[in-house]
Amino acid sequence: MDYDLTIKKNRIFNQSLIIDIFIWAFLILAALFILAPTIFMFTASLMPANDILKMPYRWIPKGFYWRNYWQGIRGNDGSFIYIRNILNSLIVASVVSATTVILSALAGFGLAKYYFKGRNLVFMMIMATMMIPFEAIMIPLYLVTTKLGIQDSYAGLIAPFLVNAFGVFLMRQYFITFPDEILDAARIDGASELMIFRTIILPNSIPAVATLAILTFKAQWDNLLWPLLVVQSEEMKTIPLYIVKFMSEKHTDEGAMMAVAAIASIPILMVFFKLSKYFLGGAALYSSRKG
Amino acid sequence: MSRRTPGYSIERKKSRWGWIFVTPTLIFFLLFSFYPIFNAFYTSLFNKKLLSLKPPAFIGLGNYSYLLKSPDFWDSIRATLVFTLGTFTPLLIFSLIFAIFIMSRKRFQNFFQIAYYSPAVLSSVVAAVIWLLIFDPRGLGNQWLNLMMNTPGIDHKWLANSVMVQMSTMLVYFWKYVGYFTIIFIVGLASIPQSIYEAAKIDGANDWKNFWYITLPLLKPTTILVSIISMLQCLRTFSTQYLFTQGGAPLAPINVITLNIYHTAIRDHQIGRASAMSIILFVIMMLFTWVQFKSSRADEISY
Repeated sequence: MDYDLTIKKNRIFNQSLIIDIFIWAFLILAALFILAPTIFMFTASLMPANDILKMPYRWIPKGFYWRNYWQGIRGNDGSFIYIRNILNSLIVASVVSATTVILSALAGFGLAKYYFKGRNLVFMMIMATMMIPFEAIMIPLYLVTTKLGIQDSYAGLIAPFLVNAFGVFLMRQYFITFPDEILDAARIDGASELMIFRTIILPNSIPAVATLAILTFKAQWDNLLWPLLVVQSEEMKTIPLYIVKFMSEKHTDEGAMMAVAAIASIPILMVFFKLSKYFLGGAALYSSRKG
Repeated sequence: MSRRTPGYSIERKKSRWGWIFVTPTLIFFLLFSFYPIFNAFYTSLFNKKLLSLKPPAFIGLGNYSYLLKSPDFWDSIRATLVFTLGTFTPLLIFSLIFAIFIMSRKRFQNFFQIAYYSPAVLSSVVAAVIWLLIFDPRGLGNQWLNLMMNTPGIDHKWLANSVMVQMSTMLVYFWKYVGYFTIIFIVGLASIPQSIYEAAKIDGANDWKNFWYITLPLLKPTTILVSIISMLQCLRTFSTQYLFTQGGAPLAPINVITLNIYHTAIRDHQIGRASAMSIILFVIMMLFTWVQFKSSRADEISY
């Protein structure tokens, strides 16, 4: 009987050790696969084009070939337009983040803390816009933009993204748990509703604001389709458009291409590693969508 | 002026402020979401051309019947559905496996979450450019696959072969978003109360039984959520396919609906037809969502 038990114990131990090793190996291999392309981009950006496509690939560059970065920023025509394009992306993404946070917070606050006729209808309408894919309305939006004469301008790039339903939803969920007593106390002290919003609500919703701002900024940094429609001039291009253009030019070499991609990624990756909890929290927020 | 009771006036004031707070957003959505979708439907009934000065002719459902007879459009539908199903299935399976494995570890949970999520941070244009280089005939893609399958020196034609190029776009998308859905699953797993597992342990359940009879059924809401989000995202894919065709891949196998809408409107100037395609895409997305909500309504879970 004693013997039996030890065997049994042993087997479970062995089995779980094997499973344990298997899970570690699986997770590590998957991590390598997932990280490899990003690492490839950075290492390749520091190599002459000839070395990048040499088999087998050298994961550690021999030296730092900074010429790629110079070439990427300078452009094939020497116009340095990439700097202007990066600036455009920064402006568009920052303005959109700001308006999204402000409008979402206002609407979310209104929907969470005020009772008015038609409130549920308004909320349903805003949520319904989540079902309308941007791809389905881009043509009418493009026609309107052209008619207004704001194509190829910041206004045209920004207008369709001033606020989004996800932002309103996020802020509303966040505010709903905010204690009413504090708001009422402020009202009794004579605070106006706008003052309550500015001095009580906003300072107390930093995590939600940060999450929304980061997610919006990231989405705009990534946006290709809309700029592709409305931008015509080189000066108004954003980073994704510059990358598309740079890629299709004849004299582009692979090293410079990776340098351009790396430059586009470094700021957002730095923000990610510094504030990863907001990124992960943003993804996690979707799970609470039902509640 | 008659005196009101204080409560009444506060309620009125509050209701007015509620409207003031939501009005800017509401106006925005009316102008930039509702108007365009109705406009898209309206335009889809006309033979409207970009840059044409003639007033567009009303052709009823002409654009739709043209599209339903057009092999090019059916190819787009096929490409979109193949991409969606081919991407969504591995996304769902692997993100669930990753989530369960990560949750089973006592250490490095954060490292794996951040590492797996990191591609989602890169812009999709950057992702496509990196993978285009990996898929180069002399690139890493061939090196890896030849190493794994022990077939030295073979070119797998990642971008040239019509089947392979579809697989390539799926691989890029899978790589980019698997971490994102892993996080959603981790949140879902974390919300399952530990007490259930403890009760099962007393009843003598092993890990495998735990997984089949507790974890998986209780994860159903998360699974449905992930399915809906990932399917809707896949149906809207654009950047990867656009960049790949710009990088020299053949258009036909990866001519997804969004790409087709873009080409029809901007290159062919067929605004009416492009609008009809937009409406069809909209309807397909509604259908997918409806079917999945329908299947999720059946059994709500409460702990």
